[in-house]
Amino acid sequence: MARLTRTSVLVCTAALAVGLTACGGGTGASSNDADGKSGDAKTIKLVAAEYSSGTKAFWDKFATAYKAKTGNTLDVQVVSWTDIDQQSSTMIQNGNPPDILNLNAYASYAKDDLLYSADDVLSPAVKDDLIPAFVKSGTYNGKLYGMPDLSSARALFYNKKLFQQAGISAPPTTWADFEADAKKVSALGGGNVGYAMPLGPEESQAEFSIWLVNNGGDWKTDGKWSINSAKNVETLNFLKKLAVTDKVTQNNPGKTNRTDGAFALFGSGKAGMVVGFSPLSAELDKSKAVDYAVAPMPSADGSAPQTYGVTDYLMAFKKKGNQDAVKAFYDLYYQPDQVNTFIKAEGFLPVTKTGLTTFQSEKALAVYLQTLPNVHLTPTDDPGWDKVKLAVQQNLGSAVAPDGNPQKVLDALQQQAESGS
Amino acid sequence: MSAATQTSPVDQTRGTRPARRPASGPSRWRRVRPVVLPIVGLAVGLVFLAPYIVMLLDALRPSSDVLASPATFLPRRWQWDTFGTVLSDTRFLAWLRTSVVVATASTMVVLLVSVPAAYFTGRVRYPGRRLFLLVVLVTQMFSPTALVVGLYREFFELNLVNTYLAIILTNAAFNLAFAIWILQAFFASIPAEVEEAAELDGCGRLATMWRIMLPLTRPGIVTSVIFTFIAAWNEYVVALTLMQDDAKKPLTVGISSYVTGYQQHWDQLFAASLIAVVPVVILFAAIEKHLVGGLTAGSIK
Amino acid sequence: MSQSTLRQAGPATSRPRRRGTRDATSGWVALLWLGPALLLIGGVVVFPAVALVKASLSEYSITGLRKGPAGLDNYRHVIEHPALGTVLRTTAIWVVAVVILTMLISLALAQFLSKQFVGRRFVRWAIIVPWAASLIITARLFTLLLDYYHGIANTLLVALPFVDQPVDFLGDDRFTLASIVAVGVFVSVPFVTYVLLAGLNAIPDDVYEAARIDGAGPWQVYRRITLPLLAPALSVSTVLSIIYVFNSFPVVYTLNDRNPGFSHDTTITWMYKLAFKSAEKDVGMSAAAGVFNVLLILAAVAVYLRVTRGATQENQA
Repeated sequence: MARLTRTSVLVCTAALAVGLTACGGGTGASSNDADGKSGDAKTIKLVAAEYSSGTKAFWDKFATAYKAKTGNTLDVQVVSWTDIDQQSSTMIQNGNPPDILNLNAYASYAKDDLLYSADDVLSPAVKDDLIPAFVKSGTYNGKLYGMPDLSSARALFYNKKLFQQAGISAPPTTWADFEADAKKVSALGGGNVGYAMPLGPEESQAEFSIWLVNNGGDWKTDGKWSINSAKNVETLNFLKKLAVTDKVTQNNPGKTNRTDGAFALFGSGKAGMVVGFSPLSAELDKSKAVDYAVAPMPSADGSAPQTYGVTDYLMAFKKKGNQDAVKAFYDLYYQPDQVNTFIKAEGFLPVTKTGLTTFQSEKALAVYLQTLPNVHLTPTDDPGWDKVKLAVQQNLGSAVAPDGNPQKVLDALQQQAESGS
Repeated sequence: MSAATQTSPVDQTRGTRPARRPASGPSRWRRVRPVVLPIVGLAVGLVFLAPYIVMLLDALRPSSDVLASPATFLPRRWQWDTFGTVLSDTRFLAWLRTSVVVATASTMVVLLVSVPAAYFTGRVRYPGRRLFLLVVLVTQMFSPTALVVGLYREFFELNLVNTYLAIILTNAAFNLAFAIWILQAFFASIPAEVEEAAELDGCGRLATMWRIMLPLTRPGIVTSVIFTFIAAWNEYVVALTLMQDDAKKPLTVGISSYVTGYQQHWDQLFAASLIAVVPVVILFAAIEKHLVGGLTAGSIK
Repeated sequence: MSQSTLRQAGPATSRPRRRGTRDATSGWVALLWLGPALLLIGGVVVFPAVALVKASLSEYSITGLRKGPAGLDNYRHVIEHPALGTVLRTTAIWVVAVVILTMLISLALAQFLSKQFVGRRFVRWAIIVPWAASLIITARLFTLLLDYYHGIANTLLVALPFVDQPVDFLGDDRFTLASIVAVGVFVSVPFVTYVLLAGLNAIPDDVYEAARIDGAGPWQVYRRITLPLLAPALSVSTVLSIIYVFNSFPVVYTLNDRNPGFSHDTTITWMYKLAFKSAEKDVGMSAAAGVFNVLLILAAVAVYLRVTRGATQENQA
């Protein structure tokens, strides 16, 4: 090897030199501002998360309308949820963020001072029309940065046929009822389980959220993290009991994801209950394989059921010369025939007051719509949540394993949250 | 299968070769062989096809039945139009086109670049030869997942984001190592007499390579072509990052929209995936016979 | 270092003469032949590789925004990470198991496919399918096939007389890694088989002929003739398999995506999770893990080459 050193250096240098000329000699400098060419017509770029195979069609049509109205071009890039974090990160690392990004988080971007606030790019009329709960979750440091694009709310889906076979006449309203009903369904045998519980890494924070708000708990209380509050520990212990002691859940609930796990099990008619949302209804209605109904989540003690919801955001990146085009984008998006068309096509829930009125006629959505204004959301307005959420996803599942320790898992998460923010 | 393996070296039946050993064991083997080998072959083939047979049957049932519990081998409800649906999807056809263009071009670039380098490295001792092979190998050690950020930067600076050229070059560069390594081994294995004879006949080095050496390394070239084509055909991360227009996405990236977190078309995903295998199998069918070196090195003397 | 891999496979008599005729070649001629390859590698691979190293020395926000230099902090964080031990152990098992099983199965399969029999073409085509199919889709397919509730594997398993419970291949810690390895072998075998098949086909018939005339038995022929002549192909495919298996992302990631934490992650999926899926969400730390990964592969390949060189020399002695 040693003999080769000198030649090796030579070849390496040659390779490097060749590489660097090839990279450095390009048209780099001029291409950087290709997007922001001066003149009236501009091109802005939207990176949108893919909700369904119809997402692309909607944004393409939207881009046409946008072009007709403003003369600007909207470049649409639709990216799957699996890859969107990686894609947006790659763009930002290279100093080339999109103009508009559709994602389920925004606060870290606002904290990094990358975003326009509503003051810069949102017409007052549009802002006034947003449902206050979503304005609150989209507000970081007193300013609205996360403009909601659509929302969803969770509810209890139950299999009517299994309930009937198990002699259950009405959906449960308390946790005690829930546990009893789940036991009855599981007792039917034949591979039926009472409750399909997805605490795997895909969305465990959502599943846990809907349980903890119905026990009077929350992720944050009075502005402080309360992940390991007594209520929350009690909630997770209850879930562990369902899984380990009662054995009324599917196998390995801490290692089951929602999409191809819990939903699939419910969809094949083998689960008595699952926590679902409107897109699941759409799938089930299409397959017609399961006779199901939707009810509010039961609360721990039978008090008024609480609803957990999710909203995703359209955030706008500060880039030279794009402010007007971005503003025009929002103006168009929040026109009722755009935003509501999108939401309806994707099977979600509105984010505007006008939308609430429009959707009132949809009977299937009634169970969600009533609760939407008072919906509980995860603390997306805290940049710390962006990491806490990931920590929850990677760790919560272990708490419902036979040797799991809910107290310990939540303590660790609380500690992580406090040190991170 | 183990029996087959052990006896095989002697029974290399590329041609017909008379057995020279006493006739007890081998003759019995020769009698059962025409029956045993095809049966073993069928079993081996089925093992490798089995998952894809299930995939085919999954494509032929409604998506919601794909995740039915318990699973059934045959669909409970047959759904015959999945392939038609996918093939009439204009998005799908655009992705297919991209994949064909990108994989074909990448393969051609790799051949053009690797053959001279491999020939030279295999036939000539030059200073830094081992180092060259090592440098080529090291390029393979960087995972595309780790490099994709830098690749995006590089092509962004060159104004090549969202162009075929960018992913063709990337695919070619990252698949070069295999072609160079395997081909140089093949070139090196050709006896020097062959080349010397050609040179005595007045062939220059380029002509020698083209007319004499290339035909002798056909198995290696075919293997490189299949390898590169498949690697480019199935590349995901780089295309995902560099190709932003929907129509310019290759199949691997495009078909992921059939199954999202909110909507599942397993039937279409699987039908599309099976269709995506077809071009590779066609390519393979076209060049498979060259996997056997018709002119093996030894037969020219 | 790469003595063994570069050994030519041709009849031994031709070697010294080849060397004699070709030694004197100037660097310029070499550059002419190697130029295009060096250009492509230098142009496409060097830049992002340098960018990776730079990123590993920088501090990033969770959004991917560069905040400034980080010194060696990212490397320290990787080394101090509590999951590192588990990840390295999983990686070692994954690489060693997949590569060894793949090589053994492929060796047998290539030998088998080099024979003439009715239906050989069918088998060759069948084996191309797992290779031709996208790894991501194949991995997703296997998550369905192996699922506890809706996997056909369990339907078949439970139909057996001595199995009464389905097996959670991907969720039960006792089976997860083994299942992932099995799928890893399944998708690696076709490639290696074809490399070895090409190698077998390049062995001249008359070499066997000569050996047989000398009275060598089948096992002797295999050990003395086939294996040594197959060495270049064997070596190339092993080295590349080690690299590809190390860097194999879709199979490990997809089959493991239901499991929380890092208990079944290899260095490459761990690197991805550090950047995007775990609470670290730090592309700088992930880049450092990526650099580690390259060094690890380099070490593994060096060890392999050293060991095989030793073995070859022993053989020849």
